[in-house]
Amino acid sequence: MSAISRVTVGSAGYTGVQNMEAAAARMAELQNRLSSGKRMSAPSDDPAGTVRALQLRGALSRNEQYTANAQDAQSWLNTIDDSYSSIVATLQRARTLVVRGLNTGVNDAAANQALASEMDTVRSTMLQLANSTFDGRPVFGGTTGSPVAYDTSGNYVGDNGVVSRDVGEGLSVDVSTTGPSVFGSGAGDVFSLIATAANALRTNPGGMSGLLAQFDGAIAQVSSAQAQAGARAGQIQDAAGGLTTRNVALQSELSGVEDVDMAEMAMKVTTANTNYQAALQTTATISQLSLMDFLR
Amino acid sequence: MGNWFAGFQQATSGMNAARYGISVVGQNIANANSDGYTRQVVTQESTGVLNVVGLYTRPAEDGIGGVGITGTIRQVDTLLNARVRDEHAKSDYASTTADQLSQIEALFPAASTDGLAAQLNSFWKDWSTVGTSPDNTAARQVLLEHARTVAGTLNNLSSSLTDLDTSMTNYLGQDVASANTAATQLAALNSQIGAASGTGIDVNALADQRDLLVDKLAKLTGATTVIQNNGTASVTIGSTALVSGATTSAITVDSAGNVSVGGAAVTLTGGSAAARVTAIQVTVPAYRAKLDGVADSVSSVVNSVQAAGFDRSGNGGQPMFTGSGAAGIAVALSDGALVAASSTPGGNLDGSNAQAASRLGASATGPDTAYATLVGSLGAESAAAQNASTTQQSLATNLDAMKASVSGVSYDEEMAHMLTYQRAFEASSRALTTLDAMLDTLINHTGRAGLA
Repeated sequence: MSAISRVTVGSAGYTGVQNMEAAAARMAELQNRLSSGKRMSAPSDDPAGTVRALQLRGALSRNEQYTANAQDAQSWLNTIDDSYSSIVATLQRARTLVVRGLNTGVNDAAANQALASEMDTVRSTMLQLANSTFDGRPVFGGTTGSPVAYDTSGNYVGDNGVVSRDVGEGLSVDVSTTGPSVFGSGAGDVFSLIATAANALRTNPGGMSGLLAQFDGAIAQVSSAQAQAGARAGQIQDAAGGLTTRNVALQSELSGVEDVDMAEMAMKVTTANTNYQAALQTTATISQLSLMDFLR
Repeated sequence: MGNWFAGFQQATSGMNAARYGISVVGQNIANANSDGYTRQVVTQESTGVLNVVGLYTRPAEDGIGGVGITGTIRQVDTLLNARVRDEHAKSDYASTTADQLSQIEALFPAASTDGLAAQLNSFWKDWSTVGTSPDNTAARQVLLEHARTVAGTLNNLSSSLTDLDTSMTNYLGQDVASANTAATQLAALNSQIGAASGTGIDVNALADQRDLLVDKLAKLTGATTVIQNNGTASVTIGSTALVSGATTSAITVDSAGNVSVGGAAVTLTGGSAAARVTAIQVTVPAYRAKLDGVADSVSSVVNSVQAAGFDRSGNGGQPMFTGSGAAGIAVALSDGALVAASSTPGGNLDGSNAQAASRLGASATGPDTAYATLVGSLGAESAAAQNASTTQQSLATNLDAMKASVSGVSYDEEMAHMLTYQRAFEASSRALTTLDAMLDTLINHTGRAGLA
């Protein structure tokens, strides 16, 4: 503008209009940001910020899903843990029955018969526990599509598939427990053991002393599996805590990228408003004056 | 002793000049706000001074013959005007480019929670849900529903780009039509100006119109103009003549946006039409290719995961997406049971394949990254175009102001001129009446000694 030595209607007009338009545009943009609360209304407002916001939204969405997965995994493990407690209690009940059978001795067949029927009940309870489900799926059945892990004869019908849950970027937790790893496999599993015990109570109560050690072994195996599940639950809990922290961190970064600083923006709007008023006022004042005012 | 009555001539010519001056001042003031009006200034000089000195030349007292009007000059700086046209051509190119990129940008919402990025996020989450509960039929259907949303959004984006392309082609057609009209009008003006200037008639008003038309041609097509000595304008686009004297060549544009002048292909370098051509031939195809890349990436990564897995019945996974490009992508599956969640055959409840699919959202080579890159580069290009446009516009406005400073009307100045001419008229009148009084003295009051 400094090159202009002759001020004419046109040149003064261009300058005035340009200044007023610039001030008005600046104010409109700031008000748009202030009212929307967002720094960016189009990618061009901050291309790098836009890409970062897209990445952060993706990360937040995944984080949300990991949190849901972690909750699911925890419920799954809780179901298993509850089952374990009942399984141990049931095994201890079976062991008690064996001990009572040993105490009763060989002479009271009626009492042993009663113990044997109770032992049958224990077996069916155990089968029920082994078929515990979470969300319709047998938790001891691996990835089986069958509704049960064990059939009524006590045969394992599940598979060795791994059930895992993604609970973080690159962090997948194995929450599966297959039936054989808890209940033993083949002829040595707990269902056979309980059946053997029931049979012995009926036919040969004196020959049961070896069974106590087997029950102790079974209880120890379940307890160890329970401890393992507890360790996994702990791992998932840690991961869930991490997810909550990460969620807060991501939200705050997203807010930093996307949201306006209200105080700063209010200041800027006030300044822009003042500038606009000044531009209007000067234009109005200056264009009122001319030589004509002084020719009489 | 000179001629007594020459004084009357002098005074009359002075009054005439002042009256003419006032009329030019009036013309200037009347047209102060007329588009393209150029301020006019009267040039006058003293007349009757002998400019050939000969043997019998006498001292100049007889030769003083008053004032003559030699012309009415338009106050123009032709070099500045050429620069103004050049910068306006660039400015219109820059602002049109920025405007077009903003329109493309509007298709890709940035800070919003909907749009393709959000839909992809939901899609990947659905995969994870299916991975967690492969037996959940509803979750599988939701996954396919979101797959259809993603495909539908890609289809819409593609057709929106096509719509943009069509509207830019229409705008280009309008620009070309306006330029052709302006060129025809300019050729007609050229012939009037050529004829008038040969006879010495005042062509100032025609020249103002001529300048308006060449400005318009520059803004539309970036054409360059040379004003010939006879006042006619010769306009060229690139090195091809558009208007030369009274002849004009037609600008044509084909469906691919290729521009020709009089049948010869030209490359537009400025003006809004050049920006439209760039958009049609470069910008829109580039973003369409990127969008197609996103669509093909969605389809290829998901289909390869499907191919690696087994559906609910234990059969090998079928492709989930068919079609190529953003315009063609579609979901091929309608039964949620066909989602290949399992990594192993046999119809089990393994979800590891679906979990693998859900991890694609975080992949650095996946569709999400491709989309973020698209949005990022679009944003950067648009921001750069907006900056260029702002800078170029302020440059053009500054030059407009400089042009207005040279060629524009200043009321104060015209008022001052008006006073000058008024005083000149008064003084000439006074000279006339004084001369008249002197003659009165001579005629009526001399030689009367002893009469009364």
